[in-house]
Amino acid sequence: MLSRSLPAMLAMAGLSVSAVQAAAVLKIDLPKDSPVVVLAADPGDSSEIARGGAMLLDLHAALSLRNATQRRIRGVTLVVTAQDVTPGGKGSVSITSLDVGPEETFPVRVDLRLLRPLQGSANVPVQIGLDGVLFDDLSFYGPDKLSSRRTMTLSEWEARRDRKYFKALLAEGGTERLRQEMIGSLARQADRPTLDVQVVRGGRATNLEQDKQLQFAFLKLPDSPVEPMEGAARIAGNEVRAPRLEVKNRSDRAIRYLEMGWILRDRTGGEFLAGSVPAELNLAPGQKSPILESTTLKFPQRGGQPLSIEGMTGFVSSVEFSDGTLWIPSRADLGSPELQRVLAPSDEEQRLVQIYRKKGLRALIAELNKF
Amino acid sequence: MKHPSEAQIALFAGGDLDGYWNRWRVRRHIAQCRDCQAEVGALRDTSELVREVAAESPKDLNWSRLAAEMTGNIRVGLAAGEAIARFDRPAARRPFRLGWNAAFVLGCATVVFLIAFWISLPRPQADHLISVLHRIRPERTGSVVKSPIIAPDEVVLEATAAGIEVKENGRAMSLTHPHSDGVTVSVSLQGSAGIRYVDADTGQVTTNKVYYAEP
Repeated sequence: MLSRSLPAMLAMAGLSVSAVQAAAVLKIDLPKDSPVVVLAADPGDSSEIARGGAMLLDLHAALSLRNATQRRIRGVTLVVTAQDVTPGGKGSVSITSLDVGPEETFPVRVDLRLLRPLQGSANVPVQIGLDGVLFDDLSFYGPDKLSSRRTMTLSEWEARRDRKYFKALLAEGGTERLRQEMIGSLARQADRPTLDVQVVRGGRATNLEQDKQLQFAFLKLPDSPVEPMEGAARIAGNEVRAPRLEVKNRSDRAIRYLEMGWILRDRTGGEFLAGSVPAELNLAPGQKSPILESTTLKFPQRGGQPLSIEGMTGFVSSVEFSDGTLWIPSRADLGSPELQRVLAPSDEEQRLVQIYRKKGLRALIAELNKF
Repeated sequence: MKHPSEAQIALFAGGDLDGYWNRWRVRRHIAQCRDCQAEVGALRDTSELVREVAAESPKDLNWSRLAAEMTGNIRVGLAAGEAIARFDRPAARRPFRLGWNAAFVLGCATVVFLIAFWISLPRPQADHLISVLHRIRPERTGSVVKSPIIAPDEVVLEATAAGIEVKENGRAMSLTHPHSDGVTVSVSLQGSAGIRYVDADTGQVTTNKVYYAEP
């Protein structure tokens, strides 16, 4: 009796540091006709440790996947679920900006932590499945339950835009111009302010401070097929609730999806990209439509000072037409000071900058010339 | 009227009853009680008879010693009777009192346990515990709580530079990343939080996301 209860008591007091192997908890389940196959799954130094009144599973799995098709793969999204731990949530791991040829292999890391109560914490399987694979011809395979087709296609469009932009810089200004652009991008990434955010569905008032209605200002991008007309959100302390926007389709094609970027300005004048407001809609040419969200965003305190939101700016960050084609802001649009200050670089720009940083300009030029 | 015990009457009849007060009380009772007078008379007659028999007894018999032994036997018998009566009664329990020293040690141990528990409590469980305590407060006191509360049944997505997390009822699933350089955090109001990083070993762009599950 004592031998059984003592470890639990010690664990509750946070005194147990024993770890056990957790290799058995990983379950990979890919479809039979999956374009990628698992060559190896290494659980690495995964462990399960008692902490406080909970068990903490620390999983560091390294998967090796092989392209089993004759097409080049540009992106893969794996879905990660732990149904017994968080039945209301799931996770995903996406690798984008890939260029994997037939029969080539590539690694995928899954770094996961599961926290569950100590009681009844027998081995909980972590399931890994496939949500989608994007090929170089923009064709797609997979159940797409997490909308990974759109996400990875957007990433691929941005990658093509940015490679084209950097190639043009190289052609027009030579290596020095490309170097300056890389250094500029590195500096912007270092200076870009970040904000911790919580997303709570339902927008239920949890902060009893008096809320106020704050109107959106809009950053209008000249080529955007969507024009934001007006918008507002309720602000209460460090919470932003229920944003409401109205947009107009000014293109000649129907739109089925759009995403608005959302920039917040605090009392000190600092600006942060709070998040994006996506909307699935059916917007005919010339038509207006409201976008309503009941979600609440919460911003934890920064350095002991509560974030006081004084202003909001919205901009159209992507549009999907009903024929499946996409619109994304051009490099010229992204060059506006407001966006440059807060917007993260694309997946591809971040990858290219990393190559420049680690391997130098020659390796970067060689990488650009592959495409 | 309460009669003296047989032992007291026997001792009184033989002139062996100890204590002035006892003798006076027994004598006063016997003077008023015919039954006890008869008892004393019978005992004295018996005593007289014993003396007569004693006259026929061996000359070297020590009567004083014999009387002392008899008196001692009577006292032992009375004491044994009382002891047996006590044995039959349930023993009165002394109230259990914890010494102040033991209480102090126990209190210190409790404080150490609580501190260790709180320090080692993972963040999601701590948040859950705080939210539950906050929920109890207004119900118990009727006062208004001015701090943010996360309703315990809500699914919360959290995105920080350290990782992303989906929390539900004190349970949590986090996707972390091995390197912190160039980490980009994003959230979507449709119900996802994401973090993107470039893997320093492979150079691959990896985006981890957590979502609300579909209803």
